[in-house]
Amino acid sequence: MKHLCLLVTVSSFTILALGLWIPFKALVAQELLELAWAESQARQQQVRPWPWADTWPVARLTFQYEGSGQHHDAANENRRSLIVLDGAHGESLAFGPGQVFGDAGNAGPTVIAGHRDTHFKSLKHVRPGSELRLQSRDGQWRTYRVSDTRVVDSRHQQINTAMLPRDALILVTCYPFDGLESRGPLRYVVEARAARSDLPVAVVES
Amino acid sequence: MLPTYSASSRAPRPASLRVRRILEGISLWLAVLLLLFVQPIFAEASEGAGELRFVDPQGRHLESATLVNTDYQVEVTGLVADVRLKQTFHNSSQEWREAVFVFPLPEQASVYGLTMIAGERRIVGEIREKAVARKEYAKAKNEGRKVARVDQQRPNLFTTHLANIPPGEAIAIELSYQQPVRYQSGEFELRIPTTLTPRYMPGDVIGDGANAWQGGWARPTTEVPDADRISPHTVLPDDVGPGSHQATVAMSIKAGLPVSRVSSPSHPVTPTWNGNTVEVTAGDGQFAMDRDLVVRWAPTIGMAASAAVFQQQWLGEDYLLAMMIPGLESSQQVARELVFVIDTSGSMAGESIRQARQSLLRGLDTLSQDDTFNVIQFNSQTASLFIDLAPATGNHLARARRYVRNLEANGGTEMAPALDAALHQRGSEAAFETADGVPRLRQVVFITDGSVGNESALFQRIERQLGDTRLFTVGIGSAPNMHFMREAARFGRGTFTAINSVSDVARPLDELFGKMQSAVLTDIQVQWSDAIASQSAQPRRIGDLFRGEPLIQVVRGHAPQGSLRVSGRLPDGSAWQQSLNLEQAASGKGLHRVWARQKIDGLLDARTLGRDPDAETRGEIPERVTALGIKHQLITPYTSFLAVDKTPARQVHAPLTSDSVPTLLPAGSSTGMLRYPQTATMAPLLQALGLLGLMFSAAIGLLKKSAFV
Repeated sequence: MKHLCLLVTVSSFTILALGLWIPFKALVAQELLELAWAESQARQQQVRPWPWADTWPVARLTFQYEGSGQHHDAANENRRSLIVLDGAHGESLAFGPGQVFGDAGNAGPTVIAGHRDTHFKSLKHVRPGSELRLQSRDGQWRTYRVSDTRVVDSRHQQINTAMLPRDALILVTCYPFDGLESRGPLRYVVEARAARSDLPVAVVES
Repeated sequence: MLPTYSASSRAPRPASLRVRRILEGISLWLAVLLLLFVQPIFAEASEGAGELRFVDPQGRHLESATLVNTDYQVEVTGLVADVRLKQTFHNSSQEWREAVFVFPLPEQASVYGLTMIAGERRIVGEIREKAVARKEYAKAKNEGRKVARVDQQRPNLFTTHLANIPPGEAIAIELSYQQPVRYQSGEFELRIPTTLTPRYMPGDVIGDGANAWQGGWARPTTEVPDADRISPHTVLPDDVGPGSHQATVAMSIKAGLPVSRVSSPSHPVTPTWNGNTVEVTAGDGQFAMDRDLVVRWAPTIGMAASAAVFQQQWLGEDYLLAMMIPGLESSQQVARELVFVIDTSGSMAGESIRQARQSLLRGLDTLSQDDTFNVIQFNSQTASLFIDLAPATGNHLARARRYVRNLEANGGTEMAPALDAALHQRGSEAAFETADGVPRLRQVVFITDGSVGNESALFQRIERQLGDTRLFTVGIGSAPNMHFMREAARFGRGTFTAINSVSDVARPLDELFGKMQSAVLTDIQVQWSDAIASQSAQPRRIGDLFRGEPLIQVVRGHAPQGSLRVSGRLPDGSAWQQSLNLEQAASGKGLHRVWARQKIDGLLDARTLGRDPDAETRGEIPERVTALGIKHQLITPYTSFLAVDKTPARQVHAPLTSDSVPTLLPAGSSTGMLRYPQTATMAPLLQALGLLGLMFSAAIGLLKKSAFV
């Protein structure tokens, strides 16, 4: 009886630790990625954040979202800044949002996916009209405005990359945000288009 | 909590009391935490269903409720294949359904019959004007009667609407169509498409809203006003219902010649010889509808035909079809200006871009030292390897090969700028001619899957800018848009081919590049002995003929007697002439439809190019096409087939839902449609489980401690 009790306690602690390790890793990795991003911007080439990493930073994404309700301070708006990694395999998503499609340096559409319980947790507070900014390796910022948020079923719908508008930025995360099932079929999609006023500037600078 | 124990253990052991207090505190906190984590579970359970489109009122997830299977019965007689295509729609849901299915047919198919089969009943369809058919369909659908309608969206793209399929039952429609068999260089080829590559729709979305997609369908754009009708939802084979999207094919070939070899680059085929006919089945009984079926057969060596005449009487009129292969063997050695254009749009990703790269590399190998060349790639943007045409030196070729090997596919399919670039690019005056002052032959090789929605606009562009260039098309992938390949090559005065797999690159391409380097017969004139009937010969203008290609013309009201004289001009300026005796005509089937289809195509060409020589004398093109369609019972852009059941099946108040049946993603094609990645971790589940476990053990511990004291 005593042993069983101990066993349950120990294994519960282990599971809890594992569960807490994932968000912790996500948090710490972003700090390391900041360094790698600074270096890749300085050297203008792919920099792996740690020697055995199979991915590298490709962009920086910032988005503003409305406070979640508990904060009634004056700003009532938070900003989140994330380093985006290349690819969206399980390994890269653990450390940061992954760029599934497109090239942040190019003009074409970009699709970025992130975990709902770590980096893209605050995506649920992003509303149409919110501002998203994406910085490519050459230091240029592009500003996007959220045009639409929706829930899709990944079993029936896919992203037709050929049909995406050229100035689109799509953020994808799992849905519902508080769900426990990690392999659920629903996705939350935030669609944004480049802010009009930003385009001519980008052309002149490039 | 447990008051009785606390009474007995007050005074003697203050230490254990403290421990117990602490434990109580911990478990209380754990309980609070647990509550925080359990709350989302309820939240998930309660909010999930309302948000979704794919959940039925009972909260169950629905798989696509309409299953479709097809069966092709192909009968080849000489140069015409007659096909019975049966599409069975099975409604696996608990509701009445309407199925909308966009499907491909061969680009030269003439659909001449529709039968709806519901259980024991067979309802024969009739041809109607498109608008009338649409109205009658809507009426029958609302009255609860079973009704089927088939429309043409593109020459190779059709839509079936089938309303009032009872729950749990199946309705089939049977389409009859005929298509010419392609005969070139002594080999027959028949292609049966089963799916389509999702088309790219250039232009801006019409209407408001930034979202280009609505319920899986593309929205009309300025350049493709019917985008929403030609963009079915494309899915992977795993995403359709069990047993859906399977095709069966049974062919019987009566070639009129002894056939020695039957092969297919796309599927395993089993031929059985049975007297004069060859029976062919494809796949292992059935196969997934995710690629074109291509069947080739060749006559025994030495038996290949170089001419044939078929005749048929229909409504008291004679129809004659003559086929003749000018034996052009002389190859020409002329310096060329060769521009390769390669499609690197998103739809080419996967297997297709590999095929395209290999094709282009093979094309580079055919260049000789006197030639000049360039490579242009296009997706959303157009880029070319050299600023100007470059001489085919070893250095340039090596650069080109490196460039081609590194091509990747993504982005849109903006074809127009690429065509402009290819057709306009001119070498400098010096490069325009060779050192000896002989003008170079200009040729463009266009390598693409043709997955665009604005075909006619592109044909117009080709026709306008062509000049003395010849445009050749190479179809790529498991389901290329063959309508685009054929027509672009025709407007570009070239010819076309298609690659089916990486292992099948060599043969079709060698064939094409061989044709490009051989003599071409131009200025072809055909004279039938009956001069009046000769006026009705279709196609009216015969394009230039390349090596191994047959000349085919159909004539109406011409008795099988007299002869046919064909004349043309060879590249060196010499005349070429040949005649054919019409008295040996064999009897053929469906020739009047071949004739009508050719005539309709001619009229539609005139519409595409915006010029119609007979406009004043014979009325508007749509009316004339409609009249031809109704007389010959053919589906055209202006006529549709409609089959209506007389007795209502569905109670009018019972709900009817419409279901767009998806098509399969062509085999080997990849990221055109991106799957949503997995974007959740185990963290919340692990945290909840861990806390639950801890609380459980804490509770046990507490219980035990109290019990022992």
